[in-house]
Amino acid sequence: MRRVGIVGAGITDCRSRWVEATYWDLFQQATRRACQDAQITTAEIDSVIYGIYNDIFEHQAIPESSLTGIIGMANKPGTRVTTGGATGFYAMRMAAMEVASGMSDVVLCIGGEKATDCYDPRSKTATPMVVDTIAKSWDPFYEYPLGATASDSYMQICLAYNDAYPNDIGDPLVRARIIEMLCHAGNRNPHAQRRLETVTAEQVMSSRWIIAPFLRLLETCMYTEGAGALIFACEERATEISRRTGVPPVWVRGIGAANESYQAGRGGSYKRLHRIDSDRIAAERAYAVAGVTAGDIGIIELHDAFVAQLMVTMGELGFVPIGQTRRLIDDGIMVDPKELADDARPEAGRLLVNPSGGLIFGGHFVGGSNMFSTWSCRREMLARQIPLGLIHGTGAINACYGGAIVLELGA
Amino acid sequence: MTAHDSRSVLPPDYDLQREYRELEGRDGQTYLQFATQMTTFYKQTYGEHSRFFLALRAGRLIGATCPRCKQVAVPAFTWHCPGCDFAEMQEIELPHKGVLAHTAPITIFPSSTFIGDAPFARGYVDVAVDAPIASFLPSRLRTTTGLVRPGIFVQGLELKLVFEDETVGCARDIFWVPMSEVPLHLRDQQPLRASELDFASPVPPAVTVAPPHVAAFGEALAALRGLAADVALSRRARTDLAGQTSRMGVRTGGGDFTLVVAEGQLQVTDGVAAEVDAIVVAEDPSVFTRWVHDGSLTDAAVEGSLWLPHKEAFQLLPILDRLPRSTRRDLRSS
Ligand SMILES: [Zn+2]
Repeated sequence: MRRVGIVGAGITDCRSRWVEATYWDLFQQATRRACQDAQITTAEIDSVIYGIYNDIFEHQAIPESSLTGIIGMANKPGTRVTTGGATGFYAMRMAAMEVASGMSDVVLCIGGEKATDCYDPRSKTATPMVVDTIAKSWDPFYEYPLGATASDSYMQICLAYNDAYPNDIGDPLVRARIIEMLCHAGNRNPHAQRRLETVTAEQVMSSRWIIAPFLRLLETCMYTEGAGALIFACEERATEISRRTGVPPVWVRGIGAANESYQAGRGGSYKRLHRIDSDRIAAERAYAVAGVTAGDIGIIELHDAFVAQLMVTMGELGFVPIGQTRRLIDDGIMVDPKELADDARPEAGRLLVNPSGGLIFGGHFVGGSNMFSTWSCRREMLARQIPLGLIHGTGAINACYGGAIVLELGA
Repeated sequence: MTAHDSRSVLPPDYDLQREYRELEGRDGQTYLQFATQMTTFYKQTYGEHSRFFLALRAGRLIGATCPRCKQVAVPAFTWHCPGCDFAEMQEIELPHKGVLAHTAPITIFPSSTFIGDAPFARGYVDVAVDAPIASFLPSRLRTTTGLVRPGIFVQGLELKLVFEDETVGCARDIFWVPMSEVPLHLRDQQPLRASELDFASPVPPAVTVAPPHVAAFGEALAALRGLAADVALSRRARTDLAGQTSRMGVRTGGGDFTLVVAEGQLQVTDGVAAEVDAIVVAEDPSVFTRWVHDGSLTDAAVEGSLWLPHKEAFQLLPILDRLPRSTRRDLRSS
């Protein structure tokens, strides 16, 4: 397999709604910015991988087909990936494979979503229809008719985790402190949806319940409209582009993925609801390929749909022991970006977590959320000279899909 | 046999007026928005799942069991064991009792399709408890003790399967209730029908009068009377209450009162009135003081510190929750 580098990245502003643009223009904006960043033209790109989560949000079957010409990909191979919340991760995995295999030398990997054009006629707001569209990720026989939603699904995991490991994610102050840090991170991201907000721990703990006892309004991710694009290249082209731009490539050093069974249960291959095994297996695989351990990582951009889930995921990824994920705060493992200079590296044993603001403060345009994470991770690795970073993606019901990518800063 | 439902698959208010509306963008330019839809109707086969749903119709719960690894799949989502080279699985009759596998979430903000049903609980029930490997049955969970609240559907709870009086062949034909809420003589009955249990008249929890609650009661009443006076002067608050009529009796550990909503006004009267739409219970009366000071009755109900008999009583809470903010904006904003 060939070495794969990331040599360009671009994202749109993250907004709760873009009335000024459809997803056609959002994808074009992200492509344009990624090409500018890599100082290449679309003529230099061999193929494209699209991450678009679902047709209903975009209101078009085969939504990527209408993008082909608009983003300069006419007459090139293009593949769409759709794997729920993990769409962005799996699109990046495909893009890396495209390069590693020798099929393409330079690949555009682009993802995005336009979710809040949805509208619920009864509440006269968008949210219940967005929730319903996502709820259609459940099967129509057994689960959807019961009224399952994405929040319930993540909270089922957290409640089950809490049954098995009490006294960890249940402390509202620990979760609120994490939110404060994510807020500080979002303040530093020029494209973040909530970059102007100040949220304190007290506000988090007095915000309205979504699902008691682990999910208040200020602990949940947003719906974002936007797009993110990355340029993947083989070693030869990455080195050449890097000479052009003066920016070192960020190498894809290891990728791991795992999808758990849809059906929950006990034993066999059933999904264990009190753990996110897909995250753990994906990370173990990525670390093994990269030849690193969690302790070598200085920065992580993870898929934080909800703060309690962020804590469980950090445990599964090996940064804190399962059952003691509150040590992220108690032991000061998670660095407050407000207390770290913009060009400083976290000291050994400490970690920058979602310096983009994550999905809670930064942005969550589902099909491209993980590209958004990679955009941020690369930006911070370059600015702070952090040698190793980790990207995490999760998705599908009960967090069944997991993915992890180890990134390495080039010389 | 074809079971018909008097309702259509889309409710009549699940529709939009056609329109082409101008919107202003962040750049000050004018943009256009159109109302549209992406609906697909189905007459969808249950295929291999038919056996399971036909059994539900007949008041039976079945699973699929593998002769080799002995696992039990319930619901019977496949008839060939994925763990044993797709060995053919056999039908197994399952008991109408089970154990809640994990503490269950309660949905407050449902998706568009389920607006009006919330709050409701949904969880995973371990039915084939003796099988070495088993799936969990995704299930509706109901209680006869009032509106569902945290602390009821916790891990390990023993549950009884209940069938709707009319079963049509869908996942909502069944639900589970805590076994402890089922009268002894009905616990072994199969199938137990919903109408054999009393969901309509839950017994309100007893409150104990305690001195700190009596002091808190005085504060709560004063705060509520202040809010009621403010509502009378606030255009926004009167709009919030427009079209609402409700008499809610409130029992607390410090004393009782009645909240009356009528003609755009809020009134607080002493004691629980003779005719009320619902009686709600809060051991600690400061639940109401906190509400007046920009807290939330909805949150109190979600947490369980405010007991409600049914979801109809719950529907009023988000409207009441708007009042403190509306009065503040009208009367104290400048
Ligand atoms: Zn088997």
